[in-house]
Amino acid sequence: MMGNGGWGLGTGRSACLAFALLVATGATVSAQGAKKGASKSAVAACAINQSDAWVKRQAEWLDESKHDWKDDTLRTALLAAAGLTAPLKAPVQLGVHVEGREPQLGPTADAMTARLKASAAVRGSAWPGKALVGAAGMHAVFLLAQRDTGLARVALHRMMEAGPDESLAADVATLEDQFRLRQQGRKQLVGTQFNLDASGNVVLSPMEDSAHADLRREGSGLPPFRLGLCLAKQVK
Amino acid sequence: MRSFITSVLLTAIVASPVVAQKPSADGTTRVSFASETVGREPKTFAPMVGSWVVSKEGDKKVLFIDGRVWKRGQPAGGLADKARELYGARNEEFIESVKAFAYYPIAVYKGLDNFENGEISVRFQMLGGALDRCAGILFNVKPNGDYLTVRYNGTEDNVVLWTFNNGVRKFVNRAPTLTPLELGTWHTLRISVHGTSLKSWLDDKPMHDYTLSAPVSGKIGVWSKTDSMVEFDEFTVKPEAK
Repeated sequence: MMGNGGWGLGTGRSACLAFALLVATGATVSAQGAKKGASKSAVAACAINQSDAWVKRQAEWLDESKHDWKDDTLRTALLAAAGLTAPLKAPVQLGVHVEGREPQLGPTADAMTARLKASAAVRGSAWPGKALVGAAGMHAVFLLAQRDTGLARVALHRMMEAGPDESLAADVATLEDQFRLRQQGRKQLVGTQFNLDASGNVVLSPMEDSAHADLRREGSGLPPFRLGLCLAKQVK
Repeated sequence: MRSFITSVLLTAIVASPVVAQKPSADGTTRVSFASETVGREPKTFAPMVGSWVVSKEGDKKVLFIDGRVWKRGQPAGGLADKARELYGARNEEFIESVKAFAYYPIAVYKGLDNFENGEISVRFQMLGGALDRCAGILFNVKPNGDYLTVRYNGTEDNVVLWTFNNGVRKFVNRAPTLTPLELGTWHTLRISVHGTSLKSWLDDKPMHDYTLSAPVSGKIGVWSKTDSMVEFDEFTVKPEAK
Protein backbone atom coordinates (compact mmCIF):
# COMPACT_ATOMS: atom_id res chain seq x y z
CA MET A 1 0.00 0.00 0.00
CA MET A 2 1.06 3.54 -0.51
CA GLY A 3 2.85 5.01 2.40
CA ASN A 4 1.36 8.38 3.01
CA GLY A 5 0.61 10.28 -0.13
CA GLY A 6 -1.49 13.38 0.31
CA TRP A 7 -4.35 11.61 -1.36
CA GLY A 8 -3.30 8.20 -0.26
CA LEU A 9 -3.86 6.04 2.74
CA GLY A 10 -1.08 7.32 4.95
CA THR A 11 -2.47 10.78 5.38
CA GLY A 12 -6.01 9.57 5.62
CA ARG A 13 -7.67 12.86 6.36
CA SER A 14 -6.25 14.58 3.33
CA ALA A 15 -7.67 12.02 0.98
CA CYS A 16 -10.56 14.29 0.20
CA LEU A 17 -12.07 12.16 -2.49
CA ALA A 18 -11.82 8.99 -0.51
CA PHE A 19 -9.39 7.57 -2.98
CA ALA A 20 -7.50 4.68 -1.63
CA LEU A 21 -4.53 4.09 -3.83
CA LEU A 22 -3.05 0.65 -3.79
CA VAL A 23 0.22 -0.36 -5.26
CA ALA A 24 -0.41 -3.22 -7.58
CA THR A 25 2.19 -5.28 -9.33
CA GLY A 26 5.04 -3.26 -8.06
CA ALA A 27 4.98 -0.03 -10.00
CA THR A 28 1.32 0.41 -10.69
CA VAL A 29 -1.18 2.10 -8.47
CA SER A 30 -4.89 1.56 -9.00
CA ALA A 31 -7.72 3.72 -7.87
CA GLN A 32 -9.88 1.96 -5.34
CA GLY A 33 -13.07 2.96 -3.67
CA ALA A 34 -15.03 2.93 -6.86
CA LYS A 35 -18.76 3.31 -6.84
CA LYS A 36 -20.77 0.18 -6.33
CA GLY A 37 -21.25 -1.49 -9.64
CA ALA A 38 -18.15 -0.04 -11.22
CA SER A 39 -16.55 -2.70 -13.30
CA LYS A 40 -13.06 -4.00 -12.76
CA SER A 41 -12.12 -2.77 -16.20
CA ALA A 42 -13.29 0.71 -15.30
CA VAL A 43 -11.09 0.69 -12.23
CA ALA A 44 -8.17 -0.66 -14.25
CA ALA A 45 -8.60 2.19 -16.70
CA CYS A 46 -7.83 4.52 -13.84
CA ALA A 47 -4.48 2.92 -13.15
CA ILE A 48 -1.70 5.27 -12.15
CA ASN A 49 1.72 4.19 -13.22
CA GLN A 50 4.57 5.29 -11.02
CA SER A 51 6.79 5.57 -14.07
CA ASP A 52 4.54 8.13 -15.75
CA ALA A 53 6.20 11.49 -16.28
CA TRP A 54 3.66 13.42 -14.23
CA VAL A 55 4.08 11.10 -11.24
CA LYS A 56 7.85 11.26 -11.49
CA ARG A 57 7.71 15.03 -11.70
CA GLN A 58 5.67 15.23 -8.52
CA ALA A 59 7.99 12.70 -6.87
CA GLU A 60 11.00 14.78 -7.80
CA TRP A 61 9.45 17.90 -6.37
CA LEU A 62 8.35 16.09 -3.19
CA ASP A 63 11.79 14.63 -2.50
CA GLU A 64 12.76 15.87 0.94
CA SER A 65 15.67 13.57 1.51
CA LYS A 66 17.99 16.52 2.06
CA HIS A 67 15.88 17.90 4.88
CA ASP A 68 16.83 21.36 3.76
CA TRP A 69 13.79 23.35 4.82
CA LYS A 70 14.52 26.22 7.18
CA ASP A 71 11.55 26.52 9.53
CA ASP A 72 10.79 23.19 11.11
CA THR A 73 8.40 24.68 13.65
CA LEU A 74 6.17 26.26 11.02
CA ARG A 75 6.36 23.15 8.87
CA THR A 76 5.25 20.94 11.75
CA ALA A 77 2.37 23.28 12.50
CA LEU A 78 1.31 23.34 8.84
CA LEU A 79 1.37 19.57 8.57
CA ALA A 80 -0.69 19.22 11.74
CA ALA A 81 -3.19 21.78 10.50
CA ALA A 82 -3.59 20.00 7.17
CA GLY A 83 -3.68 16.55 8.70
CA LEU A 84 -0.60 15.42 6.82
CA THR A 85 2.20 13.12 7.80
CA ALA A 86 5.53 13.57 6.08
CA PRO A 87 7.19 12.39 3.97
CA LEU A 88 4.61 12.52 1.21
CA LYS A 89 4.71 10.04 -1.60
CA ALA A 90 3.84 10.95 -5.18
CA PRO A 91 1.35 11.51 -6.54
CA VAL A 92 -0.13 13.87 -3.97
CA GLN A 93 -2.07 15.90 -6.50
CA LEU A 94 -4.34 14.05 -8.91
CA GLY A 95 -6.15 17.18 -9.99
CA VAL A 96 -9.56 15.85 -9.04
CA HIS A 97 -11.61 17.95 -6.68
CA VAL A 98 -15.32 17.45 -6.26
CA GLU A 99 -17.26 20.38 -4.85
CA GLY A 100 -18.56 19.52 -1.43
CA ARG A 101 -16.08 16.72 -0.88
CA GLU A 102 -13.55 18.73 1.03
CA PRO A 103 -10.50 17.21 2.65
CA GLN A 104 -10.64 16.47 6.34
CA LEU A 105 -8.04 18.67 7.92
CA GLY A 106 -6.39 18.75 11.34
CA PRO A 107 -7.88 20.34 14.47
CA THR A 108 -5.66 23.41 14.13
CA ALA A 109 -6.67 24.11 10.54
CA ASP A 110 -8.75 27.17 11.37
CA ALA A 111 -6.05 28.73 13.51
CA MET A 112 -3.37 28.13 10.89
CA THR A 113 -5.61 29.49 8.14
CA ALA A 114 -6.13 32.66 10.16
CA ARG A 115 -2.41 32.92 10.81
CA LEU A 116 -1.54 32.62 7.14
CA LYS A 117 -4.16 35.17 6.15
CA ALA A 118 -2.94 37.62 8.77
CA SER A 119 0.60 37.19 7.54
CA ALA A 120 -0.40 37.69 3.94
CA ALA A 121 -2.28 40.87 4.82
CA VAL A 122 1.00 42.55 5.71
CA ARG A 123 2.49 43.92 2.52
CA GLY A 124 5.92 42.49 1.81
CA SER A 125 5.65 39.92 4.57
CA ALA A 126 7.31 36.56 4.31
CA TRP A 127 5.27 33.74 2.86
CA PRO A 128 5.98 30.03 3.19
CA GLY A 129 7.75 28.41 0.31
CA LYS A 130 9.41 25.08 -0.24
CA ALA A 131 12.71 26.49 0.92
CA LEU A 132 11.13 27.50 4.22
CA VAL A 133 8.73 24.66 5.06
CA GLY A 134 9.61 21.92 2.58
CA ALA A 135 7.48 20.24 -0.04
CA ALA A 136 5.10 18.70 2.47
CA GLY A 137 4.67 22.06 4.18
CA MET A 138 3.71 23.65 0.89
CA HIS A 139 1.21 20.93 0.08
CA ALA A 140 -0.28 21.62 3.50
CA VAL A 141 -0.66 25.28 2.54
CA PHE A 142 -2.49 24.17 -0.59
CA LEU A 143 -4.89 21.95 1.37
CA LEU A 144 -5.68 24.78 3.76
CA ALA A 145 -6.13 27.29 0.94
CA GLN A 146 -8.41 24.96 -0.94
CA ARG A 147 -11.11 25.21 1.68
CA ASP A 148 -10.88 28.92 2.49
CA THR A 149 -11.64 31.43 -0.25
CA GLY A 150 -9.78 34.27 1.47
CA LEU A 151 -6.66 32.22 1.91
CA ALA A 152 -6.98 30.79 -1.58
CA ARG A 153 -6.82 34.27 -3.07
CA VAL A 154 -3.60 35.28 -1.32
CA ALA A 155 -2.02 31.85 -1.47
CA LEU A 156 -2.54 31.61 -5.21
CA HIS A 157 -1.04 35.05 -5.74
CA ARG A 158 1.95 34.28 -3.55
CA MET A 159 2.51 30.86 -5.07
CA MET A 160 2.48 32.24 -8.59
CA GLU A 161 4.76 35.07 -7.59
CA ALA A 162 7.27 32.75 -5.93
CA GLY A 163 7.58 30.50 -8.97
CA PRO A 164 7.75 26.77 -9.58
CA ASP A 165 10.66 26.12 -7.24
CA GLU A 166 8.56 27.06 -4.24
CA SER A 167 5.17 25.45 -4.94
CA LEU A 168 4.01 22.29 -6.65
CA ALA A 169 2.72 23.35 -10.07
CA ALA A 170 -0.07 20.76 -9.87
CA ASP A 171 -1.27 22.35 -6.61
CA VAL A 172 -1.15 25.83 -8.11
CA ALA A 173 -3.10 24.75 -11.19
CA THR A 174 -5.73 23.01 -9.08
CA LEU A 175 -6.09 26.00 -6.80
CA GLU A 176 -6.40 28.38 -9.74
CA ASP A 177 -9.15 26.29 -11.30
CA GLN A 178 -11.06 26.39 -8.03
CA PHE A 179 -10.43 30.11 -7.59
CA ARG A 180 -11.72 30.93 -11.07
CA LEU A 181 -14.89 28.92 -10.61
CA ARG A 182 -15.70 29.95 -7.06
CA GLN A 183 -14.53 33.54 -6.89
CA GLN A 184 -14.33 34.87 -10.40
CA GLY A 185 -17.25 33.16 -12.04
CA ARG A 186 -14.93 32.08 -14.84
CA LYS A 187 -14.32 28.71 -16.41
CA GLN A 188 -11.55 26.47 -15.13
CA LEU A 189 -8.43 25.98 -17.21
CA VAL A 190 -6.96 22.62 -16.37
CA GLY A 191 -10.01 20.49 -15.61
CA THR A 192 -9.50 19.70 -11.94
CA GLN A 193 -12.87 20.76 -10.59
CA PHE A 194 -15.97 18.61 -10.59
CA ASN A 195 -19.39 18.78 -9.05
CA LEU A 196 -22.27 16.43 -8.44
CA ASP A 197 -25.40 16.62 -10.57
CA ALA A 198 -28.90 16.02 -9.25
CA SER A 199 -28.45 12.29 -9.65
CA GLY A 200 -25.22 12.30 -7.73
CA ASN A 201 -23.04 11.80 -10.76
CA VAL A 202 -19.65 13.48 -10.87
CA VAL A 203 -19.54 15.98 -13.72
CA LEU A 204 -16.80 18.29 -14.94
CA SER A 205 -17.30 21.95 -14.03
CA PRO A 206 -17.25 24.44 -16.93
CA MET A 207 -13.90 24.52 -18.67
CA GLU A 208 -12.06 26.77 -21.11
CA ASP A 209 -10.25 25.55 -24.22
CA SER A 210 -10.49 21.83 -23.55
CA ALA A 211 -8.68 21.24 -26.86
CA HIS A 212 -5.33 22.07 -25.25
CA ALA A 213 -6.16 20.63 -21.82
CA ASP A 214 -3.52 17.93 -21.91
CA LEU A 215 -0.83 20.42 -22.81
CA ARG A 216 -1.69 22.45 -19.73
CA ARG A 217 -2.00 19.38 -17.55
CA GLU A 218 1.39 18.14 -18.65
CA GLY A 219 2.84 21.55 -17.94
CA SER A 220 1.38 21.43 -14.45
CA GLY A 221 2.46 17.88 -13.70
CA LEU A 222 -1.09 16.51 -13.67
CA PRO A 223 -2.33 13.26 -15.19
CA PRO A 224 -3.74 13.32 -18.72
CA PHE A 225 -7.29 14.58 -18.96
CA ARG A 226 -8.68 11.17 -19.77
CA LEU A 227 -7.17 9.68 -16.62
CA GLY A 228 -8.38 12.63 -14.55
CA LEU A 229 -11.94 12.13 -15.77
CA CYS A 230 -11.66 8.43 -15.08
CA LEU A 231 -10.41 9.05 -11.55
CA ALA A 232 -13.17 11.55 -10.92
CA LYS A 233 -15.79 8.97 -11.78
CA GLN A 234 -14.36 6.66 -9.15
CA VAL A 235 -15.14 9.09 -6.37
CA LYS A 236 -17.44 7.69 -3.73
CA MET B 1 30.61 42.73 -16.92
CA ARG B 2 27.12 41.46 -17.70
CA SER B 3 26.40 44.47 -19.87
CA PHE B 4 29.61 43.98 -21.77
CA ILE B 5 28.92 40.32 -22.36
CA THR B 6 25.37 40.95 -23.48
CA SER B 7 26.68 43.66 -25.73
CA VAL B 8 28.93 41.13 -27.39
CA LEU B 9 25.93 38.81 -27.72
CA LEU B 10 23.76 41.34 -29.46
CA THR B 11 26.49 42.49 -31.77
CA ALA B 12 26.97 38.90 -32.77
CA ILE B 13 23.27 38.42 -33.40
CA VAL B 14 23.38 41.29 -35.84
CA ALA B 15 26.27 39.63 -37.59
CA SER B 16 24.65 36.21 -37.70
CA PRO B 17 23.05 34.79 -40.83
CA VAL B 18 19.46 35.91 -41.14
CA VAL B 19 16.61 34.33 -42.96
CA ALA B 20 15.42 37.16 -45.14
CA GLN B 21 11.84 38.31 -44.73
CA LYS B 22 11.07 40.74 -47.51
CA PRO B 23 9.35 43.95 -46.50
CA SER B 24 6.31 45.02 -48.46
CA ALA B 25 6.18 48.26 -50.44
CA ASP B 26 5.29 50.30 -47.37
CA GLY B 27 8.24 48.85 -45.43
CA THR B 28 6.23 46.40 -43.39
CA THR B 29 7.84 43.04 -42.68
CA ARG B 30 5.59 40.18 -41.66
CA VAL B 31 7.51 37.20 -40.36
CA SER B 32 6.28 33.89 -41.66
CA PHE B 33 7.14 30.50 -40.21
CA ALA B 34 5.79 28.67 -43.25
CA SER B 35 9.21 27.56 -44.44
CA GLU B 36 10.44 26.65 -40.96
CA THR B 37 10.70 23.13 -39.59
CA VAL B 38 8.17 22.01 -37.00
CA GLY B 39 9.82 21.03 -33.74
CA ARG B 40 12.94 23.08 -34.43
CA GLU B 41 14.02 26.48 -33.22
CA PRO B 42 13.03 29.27 -35.62
CA LYS B 43 15.59 30.61 -38.05
CA THR B 44 14.11 34.07 -37.97
CA PHE B 45 14.48 34.52 -34.21
CA ALA B 46 17.35 33.81 -31.87
CA PRO B 47 15.98 32.15 -28.74
CA MET B 48 18.09 33.26 -25.79
CA VAL B 49 16.05 31.98 -22.88
CA GLY B 50 13.33 29.35 -22.94
CA SER B 51 12.31 26.64 -25.36
CA TRP B 52 11.13 28.40 -28.52
CA VAL B 53 10.13 26.04 -31.29
CA VAL B 54 8.12 26.13 -34.47
CA SER B 55 4.91 24.19 -34.00
CA LYS B 56 1.81 23.47 -35.99
CA GLU B 57 -1.56 24.88 -35.05
CA GLY B 58 -4.16 23.59 -37.44
CA ASP B 59 -2.60 23.91 -40.86
CA LYS B 60 -0.39 26.83 -39.90
CA LYS B 61 3.14 26.98 -38.54
CA VAL B 62 3.59 29.23 -35.55
CA LEU B 63 6.23 30.06 -32.95
CA PHE B 64 5.63 28.30 -29.64
CA ILE B 65 7.20 29.08 -26.28
CA ASP B 66 6.97 25.77 -24.50
CA GLY B 67 6.76 26.43 -20.76
CA ARG B 68 6.51 22.74 -20.01
CA VAL B 69 10.26 22.54 -20.11
CA TRP B 70 10.99 25.88 -18.50
CA LYS B 71 13.39 25.89 -15.60
CA ARG B 72 14.68 28.86 -13.68
CA GLY B 73 18.16 29.82 -14.80
CA GLN B 74 18.07 27.56 -17.83
CA PRO B 75 18.86 29.33 -21.09
CA ALA B 76 17.65 28.20 -24.49
CA GLY B 77 18.77 24.81 -25.70
CA GLY B 78 22.06 24.59 -27.52
CA LEU B 79 23.29 27.78 -25.93
CA ALA B 80 26.90 26.65 -25.96
CA ASP B 81 26.85 26.06 -29.71
CA LYS B 82 25.03 29.29 -30.36
CA ALA B 83 27.40 31.22 -28.16
CA ARG B 84 30.39 29.66 -29.86
CA GLU B 85 28.97 30.51 -33.25
CA LEU B 86 28.09 34.02 -32.21
CA TYR B 87 30.84 35.02 -29.84
CA GLY B 88 33.81 32.90 -30.66
CA ALA B 89 36.30 32.86 -27.82
CA ARG B 90 34.01 34.86 -25.57
CA ASN B 91 31.26 32.25 -25.54
CA GLU B 92 31.97 31.05 -22.01
CA GLU B 93 31.45 34.51 -20.63
CA PHE B 94 28.21 34.74 -22.51
CA ILE B 95 26.96 31.43 -21.22
CA GLU B 96 27.73 32.42 -17.66
CA SER B 97 25.98 35.72 -18.13
CA VAL B 98 22.82 34.23 -19.58
CA LYS B 99 22.68 31.54 -16.95
CA ALA B 100 22.98 34.14 -14.24
CA PHE B 101 19.62 35.71 -15.00
CA ALA B 102 17.80 33.37 -17.36
CA TYR B 103 14.25 33.74 -16.13
CA TYR B 104 12.12 35.37 -18.81
CA PRO B 105 12.02 33.55 -22.13
CA ILE B 106 13.04 35.88 -24.96
CA ALA B 107 13.67 35.41 -28.65
CA VAL B 108 15.35 38.20 -30.59
CA TYR B 109 14.23 38.89 -34.17
CA LYS B 110 17.19 38.54 -36.49
CA GLY B 111 15.83 40.57 -39.37
CA LEU B 112 16.19 44.09 -38.03
CA ASP B 113 19.34 45.60 -36.57
CA ASN B 114 17.84 48.64 -34.98
CA PHE B 115 14.27 49.70 -34.34
CA GLU B 116 13.71 53.32 -33.33
CA ASN B 117 10.32 54.40 -34.64
CA GLY B 118 7.33 52.65 -36.08
CA GLU B 119 5.00 49.80 -35.22
CA ILE B 120 5.45 46.25 -34.04
CA SER B 121 2.63 43.77 -33.64
CA VAL B 122 2.23 40.08 -32.99
CA ARG B 123 -0.66 37.66 -32.82
CA PHE B 124 -0.69 35.31 -29.87
CA GLN B 125 -2.70 32.50 -28.45
CA MET B 126 -2.28 31.47 -24.83
CA LEU B 127 -2.43 27.74 -24.33
CA GLY B 128 -1.47 27.41 -20.70
CA GLY B 129 0.98 27.81 -17.87
CA ALA B 130 0.41 27.08 -14.20
CA LEU B 131 2.27 30.17 -13.01
CA ASP B 132 2.22 32.51 -15.95
CA ARG B 133 0.58 32.99 -19.30
CA CYS B 134 2.44 35.88 -20.85
CA ALA B 135 2.89 37.16 -24.37
CA GLY B 136 4.99 40.24 -25.00
CA ILE B 137 6.70 42.39 -27.57
CA LEU B 138 10.39 42.84 -26.86
CA PHE B 139 11.97 46.10 -27.96
CA ASN B 140 14.72 48.59 -27.18
CA VAL B 141 17.07 45.64 -26.68
CA LYS B 142 20.37 47.31 -25.93
CA PRO B 143 23.85 45.99 -26.47
CA ASN B 144 24.23 45.74 -22.70
CA GLY B 145 21.19 43.47 -22.48
CA ASP B 146 18.71 46.01 -21.14
CA TYR B 147 15.32 46.00 -22.80
CA LEU B 148 11.68 47.02 -22.64
CA THR B 149 8.63 44.83 -23.09
CA VAL B 150 4.93 45.45 -23.42
CA ARG B 151 3.22 42.27 -22.47
CA TYR B 152 -0.18 40.78 -21.85
CA ASN B 153 -0.45 38.58 -18.76
CA GLY B 154 -3.30 36.08 -18.79
CA THR B 155 -3.04 35.49 -15.06
CA GLU B 156 -3.56 39.19 -14.38
CA ASP B 157 -5.64 40.12 -17.43
CA ASN B 158 -3.57 43.25 -17.99
CA VAL B 159 -1.10 44.87 -20.34
CA VAL B 160 2.02 46.22 -18.66
CA LEU B 161 5.19 47.97 -19.75
CA TRP B 162 8.27 46.60 -18.00
CA THR B 163 11.88 47.59 -18.15
CA PHE B 164 14.81 45.26 -17.59
CA ASN B 165 18.14 46.64 -16.49
CA ASN B 166 21.04 44.34 -15.66
CA GLY B 167 18.60 41.46 -15.49
CA VAL B 168 16.38 43.22 -12.95
CA ARG B 169 12.76 43.77 -13.91
CA LYS B 170 11.03 46.99 -12.99
CA PHE B 171 7.41 47.96 -13.43
CA VAL B 172 6.92 51.06 -15.58
CA ASN B 173 3.27 51.44 -16.47
CA ARG B 174 0.09 49.40 -16.38
CA ALA B 175 -2.70 49.95 -18.86
CA PRO B 176 -5.82 50.84 -16.88
CA THR B 177 -8.10 48.37 -18.64
CA LEU B 178 -8.37 44.76 -17.48
CA THR B 179 -9.06 42.45 -20.42
CA PRO B 180 -9.68 38.78 -19.65
CA LEU B 181 -8.85 36.61 -22.64
CA GLU B 182 -9.83 32.99 -23.07
CA LEU B 183 -7.17 30.40 -23.65
CA GLY B 184 -7.07 28.92 -27.11
CA THR B 185 -8.14 32.13 -28.82
CA TRP B 186 -6.01 34.42 -31.00
CA HIS B 187 -5.37 38.04 -30.14
CA THR B 188 -3.15 40.86 -31.35
CA LEU B 189 -0.75 42.94 -29.30
CA ARG B 190 0.59 46.05 -31.00
CA ILE B 191 2.86 48.92 -30.07
CA SER B 192 3.82 52.12 -31.80
CA VAL B 193 6.93 54.11 -30.96
CA HIS B 194 7.66 57.65 -32.04
CA GLY B 195 10.51 59.24 -30.17
CA THR B 196 9.59 58.86 -26.52
CA SER B 197 5.93 58.28 -27.28
CA LEU B 198 4.79 54.72 -26.70
CA LYS B 199 1.30 53.50 -27.46
CA SER B 200 -0.06 49.99 -27.21
CA TRP B 201 -3.21 48.17 -28.25
CA LEU B 202 -4.72 44.82 -27.46
CA ASP B 203 -7.01 43.69 -30.25
CA ASP B 204 -7.10 47.31 -31.45
CA LYS B 205 -8.28 48.46 -28.02
CA PRO B 206 -6.01 51.27 -26.74
CA MET B 207 -3.94 50.23 -23.73
CA HIS B 208 -0.97 52.56 -23.27
CA ASP B 209 -0.31 56.16 -24.14
CA TYR B 210 2.92 56.70 -22.32
CA THR B 211 5.99 58.88 -22.51
CA LEU B 212 9.24 56.98 -22.17
CA SER B 213 12.21 58.47 -20.36
CA ALA B 214 14.35 58.17 -23.49
CA PRO B 215 13.87 57.40 -27.18
CA VAL B 216 13.90 53.78 -28.26
CA SER B 217 16.84 52.30 -30.11
CA GLY B 218 17.63 48.61 -30.25
CA LYS B 219 16.66 45.16 -31.41
CA ILE B 220 13.20 43.65 -31.11
CA GLY B 221 11.59 40.28 -30.56
CA VAL B 222 9.10 38.35 -28.49
CA TRP B 223 8.95 37.88 -24.74
CA SER B 224 7.32 35.53 -22.30
CA LYS B 225 7.51 34.49 -18.68
CA THR B 226 8.41 31.34 -16.78
CA ASP B 227 6.14 28.39 -17.64
CA SER B 228 3.91 30.20 -20.14
CA MET B 229 2.75 28.18 -23.12
CA VAL B 230 1.95 30.65 -25.86
CA GLU B 231 1.86 30.53 -29.63
CA PHE B 232 3.00 33.56 -31.62
CA ASP B 233 2.26 34.34 -35.23
CA GLU B 234 2.40 37.18 -37.71
CA PHE B 235 5.18 39.09 -36.01
CA THR B 236 5.03 42.32 -37.95
CA VAL B 237 7.31 45.32 -37.90
CA LYS B 238 7.01 48.56 -39.76
CA PRO B 239 9.99 50.81 -39.07
CA GLU B 240 9.58 54.49 -39.79
CA ALA B 241 12.12 57.23 -40.25
CA LYS B 242 12.74 59.52 -37.32
